[in-house]
Amino acid sequence: MYTADIRQPLVTGGKTYSDVTKDVCRPIENKPTPSWWLGFSIAVVLLLVLAGTLAWTVWEGIGTWNVNKSVMWGWDITNFVFWVGIGHAGTLISAILLLFRQKWRMAINRSAEAMTIFAVFCAAIFPLFHMGRVWLGYWPLPLPNAFGSLWVNFNSPLLWDVFAISTYLSVSLVFWYLGLIPDIATVRDRATTKARKFWYGFFAMGWNGSAKSWGRYEVVALILAGISTPLVLSVHTIVSMDFATSVIPGWHTTIFPPYFVAGAIFSGFGMVLTLLLIARHVMNYQDYITTEHLEAMTKVILLTGSIVGLAYITEFVIAAYSGYEYEQYAFANRMFGPYAWAYWTMMFCNLVAPQVFWSKWARTTPWFIFIISIIVNIGMWFERFVIIVTSLHRDFLPSSWVMYHATWVEVGIFLGTFGLFFTCFFMFAKFLPVINMAEVKTIIKDKE
Amino acid sequence: MVDKSILLDNKKFTVGIFDDSDKLLHAVNTLKEKGVKIFDCYTPFPVHHLDHALGYHRTNLTIGAFLCGLLGCLSGFTLAYYMNVVDWPMIIGGKPQDISVFTSFIPVMFELTILFTAFGMVIMFFARTRMIHGIKEDLLSRRQTDDHMVLAIDNDQDQSLSNKDILELLKKEGAIEVNDSKEAFNTSLTSEEELTKILKINKTSTKKTKKK
Repeated sequence: MYTADIRQPLVTGGKTYSDVTKDVCRPIENKPTPSWWLGFSIAVVLLLVLAGTLAWTVWEGIGTWNVNKSVMWGWDITNFVFWVGIGHAGTLISAILLLFRQKWRMAINRSAEAMTIFAVFCAAIFPLFHMGRVWLGYWPLPLPNAFGSLWVNFNSPLLWDVFAISTYLSVSLVFWYLGLIPDIATVRDRATTKARKFWYGFFAMGWNGSAKSWGRYEVVALILAGISTPLVLSVHTIVSMDFATSVIPGWHTTIFPPYFVAGAIFSGFGMVLTLLLIARHVMNYQDYITTEHLEAMTKVILLTGSIVGLAYITEFVIAAYSGYEYEQYAFANRMFGPYAWAYWTMMFCNLVAPQVFWSKWARTTPWFIFIISIIVNIGMWFERFVIIVTSLHRDFLPSSWVMYHATWVEVGIFLGTFGLFFTCFFMFAKFLPVINMAEVKTIIKDKE
Repeated sequence: MVDKSILLDNKKFTVGIFDDSDKLLHAVNTLKEKGVKIFDCYTPFPVHHLDHALGYHRTNLTIGAFLCGLLGCLSGFTLAYYMNVVDWPMIIGGKPQDISVFTSFIPVMFELTILFTAFGMVIMFFARTRMIHGIKEDLLSRRQTDDHMVLAIDNDQDQSLSNKDILELLKKEGAIEVNDSKEAFNTSLTSEEELTKILKINKTSTKKTKKK
């Protein structure tokens, strides 16, 4: 295949195959570094906050949250959509970029997929506990029951969401595990301790890298990528339908599915960048996650950020054009009402801030990308907050108008999910190969 | 199905170990031209065109995946139709609850299609490749999942060339190590001393490649 001379190598530093193995296995085979312990401890503290606030919610009841009959969805569903959205970049990187044969995905797909799984864990907490009686959390499942054979309602987008999220989580797990098998085998064959030999041997399932297995493996990976691509689009489409199929002004919009999918990719890439910039620095993976990778990801951020920005403006124009008073009011209230600060934060973080990536300097300077990635994360949280809370807090009946502010319990749960997310991620970085060794070895001589 | 039978049979292999995928591929092609039957190759990463060179056909797993998907789609429809139309229609606001609400079954049908395809295909893959938790791996080189590529020839099979000629040929093709009676082993059999030796070799060989 022809590659232009200006293309940069995908892996720098003249690495050999065994260098890749050694570099990637280093954290697994050695004691954790002090920075790992520091990060892990902070994450565990936050995880305890999660456990505490959730326990309090269950003990005392859902009244510990400030959601009420006007704003029945508050921080909980905001956080749910926020975390699900973050999860999407993992599938996007490993599935859609595989179908498009983008080789730069190979150094980052493993950690992005891990991020997907942990983010979906975090997301699942919110609707589950929002039910109030979490021990009845199995009710949305289509199970035979003693309530006069009253089944779940298949006309409801909330039920579609149950199917979508659980399918997404399980398929992502399978995809991730399948990708891990050859690398787990590599760790197994280098293992020096009995425990490592046993556990990695157990999970490697006897993998020996025969040409026949690889042939099948590649076909399976391709098909999984092929079905994960519509899956990831469907999941966020269905999440957007939780809103779009309602009759609430501000939610009742046909633009929601593509707009939510673009937003999910946007926020997911923001989070991937945040994580990878830290991992790359702490674990010394600059030769694998090069500035070329960062540049490619910032380009995706620029594109999806602009799509999201376009969607904000389109929504507004359509509301103004609709001639429908309530829709017009919902949008005017977003921009100039009591939550205007949230709206303009969202506009700045998602539409304005990513535009700096038109500059090559901005796309290739890690510390600067890190700042923008944090801004993107904040902006995308505010997007969900704006959509949910500003649409609800002033509905058709002015007597029901309220202001909604989160309680310490809601804030604690949100911070706590970061604890869960990062605890999982630190464990992953310690016990599993963060970079897909087998795939990176195939591109060691390739250019971007 | 050959993958996991090596260890059981206590077979002997003629192996050539390569450190470069292009050399391995070239060696496979040369041996095939001379009419030598190759048992299998073991590589740390997928080597493109290697399955072609070895004469393997594309797997039929895709057909199985399609069937699983079809089953998932039908299950989704059956589930929704039985629960919401046949068994207990929920009439809300006097709206019909029959086949005309088919469109709202589509998301569930779609998700189950994906779910069944993914799980069905992966389970079939594990079955076909004889992979299961706890199975002992059969390795011909400790480093075949690291940086070595192993070309294995079954000693029990009749070959067009003599064993000596095959070894010569493998060396000429750039094998860094050849062996005419190698048995498969698994990692739990390797002692710790041996392993440190292997890992030391690993270090020196890296230095060599860097010098090149």
